[in-house]
Amino acid sequence: MNKEFGGWAGHVLRVDLTNNIIKKEPTSTYHNYIGGMGIGYKVLWDNHKDGITATDEENRLVISAGPLSGSGAICSARTTITSRSPVIRNHLITDGHFGGHFSPEMKYAGYDAIIIEGKSSSPVWLKIIDDKVTLEPADSLWGKGMFDTFAAVSKMMGQQAQVAAIGPAGENLVSQSTIQTQGGHSAGGHGAVLGSKQLKAIGIIGTGVVDVVANNEQLRKLDDHILGIIGANNQGVVPHQPQTWAEYSSSISRWRGGPGVKWGAADNPVDVGETPWDDRQKVGMRTSMAEMYFGREEANRVFKRPGGCHSCPIRCFCEVKNPKMKTEYKLPTDNISNTCMGFLDPWYVMGLPANSEKRTDIQTVGAYYMDNYGVWSAYGQLSHVMREFITRDFWKQLLPAEEFAAINWQQQKDLDAHFMEDFYTRLALGKQYKGSNVLGRFLGKGLHEFINEEGELYNIQDILDGIETPRMAGLIFNLEGDAPYGLTGKNYSVFLDKGVKVFNRSMVGGTHHASETAGQVGALLNTVFNRDPQCHSHINLVNCGLPYGKIAEVADKMWGAGAFDPVKHYKPMNVPKAKFAKWCLVKNVLHDSLTLCNWMFPLIVSPDVKKDYQGDSSIESQMFSLVTGIQTSEQELDDKAEGILQLHRALSVLQMQEIDQRNKHDVLTEWVYDLDPDKVFGDEGTIKMGREDMQLGLDLFYTEMGWDQATGTPTRATLEKFKLGYVADKLESLGLLPA
Amino acid sequence: MITRRALLANGAKVAVGTVYCGSLVSFLTGCSSDDDNTTIEVLPGGLMVVDPILCVGCRRCEIACSWSHGISAVSPNTARIKVAKNLNFGPHGVQDNFHQQRGEEGDGTIVPETCRQCDVCMAACPQQAIYINEKTGARIVDDELCIGCGYCAENCPQQVITIDKYTRKALKCDLCEGKPNCAEVCPTGAIKFYTWEEAIAEVEHHEKYLTLI
Repeated sequence: MNKEFGGWAGHVLRVDLTNNIIKKEPTSTYHNYIGGMGIGYKVLWDNHKDGITATDEENRLVISAGPLSGSGAICSARTTITSRSPVIRNHLITDGHFGGHFSPEMKYAGYDAIIIEGKSSSPVWLKIIDDKVTLEPADSLWGKGMFDTFAAVSKMMGQQAQVAAIGPAGENLVSQSTIQTQGGHSAGGHGAVLGSKQLKAIGIIGTGVVDVVANNEQLRKLDDHILGIIGANNQGVVPHQPQTWAEYSSSISRWRGGPGVKWGAADNPVDVGETPWDDRQKVGMRTSMAEMYFGREEANRVFKRPGGCHSCPIRCFCEVKNPKMKTEYKLPTDNISNTCMGFLDPWYVMGLPANSEKRTDIQTVGAYYMDNYGVWSAYGQLSHVMREFITRDFWKQLLPAEEFAAINWQQQKDLDAHFMEDFYTRLALGKQYKGSNVLGRFLGKGLHEFINEEGELYNIQDILDGIETPRMAGLIFNLEGDAPYGLTGKNYSVFLDKGVKVFNRSMVGGTHHASETAGQVGALLNTVFNRDPQCHSHINLVNCGLPYGKIAEVADKMWGAGAFDPVKHYKPMNVPKAKFAKWCLVKNVLHDSLTLCNWMFPLIVSPDVKKDYQGDSSIESQMFSLVTGIQTSEQELDDKAEGILQLHRALSVLQMQEIDQRNKHDVLTEWVYDLDPDKVFGDEGTIKMGREDMQLGLDLFYTEMGWDQATGTPTRATLEKFKLGYVADKLESLGLLPA
Repeated sequence: MITRRALLANGAKVAVGTVYCGSLVSFLTGCSSDDDNTTIEVLPGGLMVVDPILCVGCRRCEIACSWSHGISAVSPNTARIKVAKNLNFGPHGVQDNFHQQRGEEGDGTIVPETCRQCDVCMAACPQQAIYINEKTGARIVDDELCIGCGYCAENCPQQVITIDKYTRKALKCDLCEGKPNCAEVCPTGAIKFYTWEEAIAEVEHHEKYLTLI
């Protein structure tokens, strides 16, 4: 080893597309920000420009990895992509993430991050082979689907290249677009940013190494320790169905691999059988969670094997083979690899049908089109709007008559997966679609563009035409189910409609593990970031499958009595819940900076009865110490992560030019409080939140975070505590720092 | 001469201490030679083979191989088992019909390559820097003698030898003294250490996935 530290590759690549200038800078500048998300936020802060949009030339996009990526540390292959996002009101900073094998390859090439600046005058792709970094013409790639782009770039570079790219959606500046790698690994919200810069793809071959300070014995010892604690996806630590070795089982657990589960589409089908927690050579079989998306019978027919990211033994992806993709739907492949929203979005669009061959077709064909076009649903928000507006018969009112007539609505009603082709084509092509396409242009542009302060829809055509004072769409609540809420006949608002699942009113962000899974803790997490929080720190405890008493025991020990309420048994806000929420966010930021999978970590419970199911919250710092050689305690590493979280908050204040985050950012939609009109907050059986209780929640949470009570903005003392005095100075100079 | 077909048809075993030749050698080692004069003495130990049906593409084998050899650094290039090369598009690179081929971009089958402990590298080495570990049967690179010329890597039938770009020494599977790190960390038991006797069916299974579709 000839570097001062292990882990970091040592350089950040800065690519100026306007002037075709490519520079290397030392990563050490960013060590206080760990890596990944930390680098992204710091670059965006340092290069802040007032009032720009996500697709303006001045906006920067950062693709970054942390010191653990490429080191072999378990679950460390995440890549963070940070930039302003056109999907969010005011185009504020967001971070998207993908897994796969991209960030390890970037590290092996010698880079911790790639900063993309400016705008190319013609389509280009970025070719990185170690020190040789060039911009190449991409005229032949522009217009290609995601899969063909991966193949074309790999053919030009070498089959071992790892490629990230945008699809036609990003090229066409569709806000709801992705940057993807290796098929279904997608990061949402920034495809159009690369599209605006005319950067189609990045291909990397790295022949170098990631230095690791520790030796094999130390690394294997920690690896073995982790394997004694880690569960299935989302840290399910008990099996989904009873197994002979397990004291407990739980229908909430994603430990799906067990008797009766098959990798049935494999050439030689594999019966998964029992998956004892201590069988190290079945760790990769225990998640096998295709049945979550397809049901047992269908999953056993189409599931080929689990898949996922570099260095991860848990494998949350589903490699699926559905022959009908080729024979009936005329796609070039009958294989699809994805997980979670990749399968669920098409299902949402088609009205959440029950498990069946039709559902399988919808999800496999839909996933193909979504991925090939590079369409992003904002954690389902886009598809919730599509479905809900069908249910409410709004499209007839919103679309031009000839367009409404041209759409084959009968296919949607019949659960015919042929509907997927036209639906995702409309989304991805936007204005380029042949024929009237108000539907695709509306859904692809981002809901925030089409609503007023009350969440009521403007006339879509007026917005698309850029009319300064648009008319209203004139939608009215019209369902029987609206009556108990007293909404019948009133102006329709997405903030009042639980069906479209907009949770954060200010950012128009979709709900993601909010009050439906963790009461006020989940709700608070959904206030802080500018998009859905993508935070699983709480889920990896509350959905672990252990009995309530065990989870409460862990939560009490970590944050104090009363930190955890089971779903639909919510009690009033308290200090332990605020501490729990803060802890979740700090760990989330830590993971996105290291870069480590927050869909698995933190691991504060385990499947080991001899450990009394206790986990170890310090694993991240143990990994960091072994890899970098910098002995760092859990608290020290958490402090660095908290600094990054504080920087994010300050950057949101700066970008919004708004000190009053409490009333202009951290505001939830009405349905969150008005759900289940026959119940009040705190009643058993409802997930509804209480308005006053939530304000108390913000008070207590701000106290934990060191944020001003009135505004929710970090104080100077807080910022200085995390070595962010320069941030306080800047905010103060603009009148954006609390007195 | 024992042919592969005859061997399988007769359920014959490959026993330690026996000298085999010809196409059986070709079969077991993956070498292309059918020269009946080529012989192989079956030593104790065996070889690593990966089952592409069970491989889930996590590359923990590559990682553990890097951890356990040489300087403390991780890279597919320093690993003696190769997953990365075939990961996305399979053993034949990016074909026009890549959707039908192996790999993550194809039919989802991952076909790692492992060292079959044949003698090709030994024969190619002008320095006689590769010797046999009598205990495990592994062909081992003597770093003192290796000059990094790369002949072994160029001739390796499985393309699993790399010349370390920093040390300029050949990196080759040494079976970790009979306790391979790669197999120990595999989360699905896809990679296993087989005795020569056990390896026949596994090698044949693996070879099915090396063909162009």
